[in-house]
Amino acid sequence: MATPVPVMDDISIGTLTADPYPSFQRIRKTASAVWVSDARINLVTRFDDIMTVERDHGRFASTNPGSLMNQVMGHSLMRKDDEAHQVERKAIEPSFRPGVVKNHWSPIFNDISRRLIDAFSDDGETDLFMSFAAPMASLGLAEILGLKNVAWQDLARWSQALMDGVGNYGADPEIIARATEASDGIDAAIDETLDHYRNNPDPSVLSSMLHAEHTHTLDQIRANVKVIIGGGLNEPRDSILTTVYGLLLNPDQRARVEADRSLYRVAFEEAVRWVSPIGMYPRRVTCDTVLGDTALKEGDQIGICVGAANRDESHFSDPDSFNIFRDRGQHLGFGAGPHFCAGTWVARQMVGEIAVPMLFERLNNLRLDEDKPAKVSGWVFRGPISLPVRWDN
Amino acid sequence: MVKITFIQSDGSRHEVEAEPGNTVMQTALDRNVDGITAECNGSAACATCHAYFEEERLDALDPMQEHENDMLDFAASERKSGSRLSCQVKVTEALDGIVVTLPDMQ
Repeated sequence: MATPVPVMDDISIGTLTADPYPSFQRIRKTASAVWVSDARINLVTRFDDIMTVERDHGRFASTNPGSLMNQVMGHSLMRKDDEAHQVERKAIEPSFRPGVVKNHWSPIFNDISRRLIDAFSDDGETDLFMSFAAPMASLGLAEILGLKNVAWQDLARWSQALMDGVGNYGADPEIIARATEASDGIDAAIDETLDHYRNNPDPSVLSSMLHAEHTHTLDQIRANVKVIIGGGLNEPRDSILTTVYGLLLNPDQRARVEADRSLYRVAFEEAVRWVSPIGMYPRRVTCDTVLGDTALKEGDQIGICVGAANRDESHFSDPDSFNIFRDRGQHLGFGAGPHFCAGTWVARQMVGEIAVPMLFERLNNLRLDEDKPAKVSGWVFRGPISLPVRWDN
Repeated sequence: MVKITFIQSDGSRHEVEAEPGNTVMQTALDRNVDGITAECNGSAACATCHAYFEEERLDALDPMQEHENDMLDFAASERKSGSRLSCQVKVTEALDGIVVTLPDMQ
């Protein structure tokens, strides 16, 4: 018998940001969906319920007329379903195919990673967030998109401004101004390059959009480039850091990985399960319905907590531990269903095959800085915000 | 109704009835056939619905697009001549009686 959505008043955004996992576990044990007053959304935390949601876009839609994302970025494919979504997704697919990633993007990522490490490898210590992970993700993203002459710091700033804008439920005018500035900057950067790609097709996303069977309109290009900038920078950045952090905290696993390079990609998958970079994303309930043991109403907003599902005890034993040797099973770090992360194969290559192995190979006796503890933060997006390390010169 | 027989990597067989118009991937999920993960639920983005179809009947299947062809090279289990992503193969009368073998890993 389905019951109404229970309410939890005692879980604050601050608690979730510091460490969401105890709250996720409590919610998971309580009901299929729980209204968390401070977050103003019904959180869905069980693995099986999330699979149900992602396989049924009739009842649980990505479209949302009032979406802040649409206001900030334009109407991107992330807020479309069915054919409207498929047409745009198919247009950009050629840039993200695993074969294209391996043959075209891989050498470029290798080069970026090598140059970044060259710049600090003599220092003996660094914070990998600013010196490596953030520029690696940003420079890689600029290449994939095909944006020319954009500084990695600008792209990173735009990405953050767009994400802040999407989460700006309080309509803070300063956040709106920053998001608008980012949006204008991106439009200008796109305008600068489109003519080039009309005549010079290559594997970049901008080129794919122009040369697809169903070409993107300018509005579609702008919206989808923004959604890729907003959603494609922090995930590789955070998963680089989480993979390194997980390995540095577990010397036995690190030793096995260093002895067998092919295990880095397994470490990456485990990192994305352990601390999923996208912890929560929204869906809209389209009709009065039941999810698991809970009754939902038309118009309800539900927050799909893949970060919680990836620690669901019914799917993962000892889920809070980082263990690259756990039984291999599906995780939801890349989502599921039609909106499954388009950049999955890019991330696997950039993080698991290139960036993380190169750090361990280049920096002798890499270790956590004992005087400066790592900081991990966030719940909608989660990852290390500081990862100070040392190595032997 | 179209009959499809799924064979697991351990040799066990499941004969199921499939509805024309559905994909082979969807048929396996609907009939609780193990061995297909289908993380992306039919978007040809994850390569976790990899299956081996009978080689002599490949011509009867929906033709393979470039995207699927690329994806199959990166499936977790070895690509063979009968390899397809089962989410890209629609059930038709022409598939009646076909045998689909599932890999040991997706």
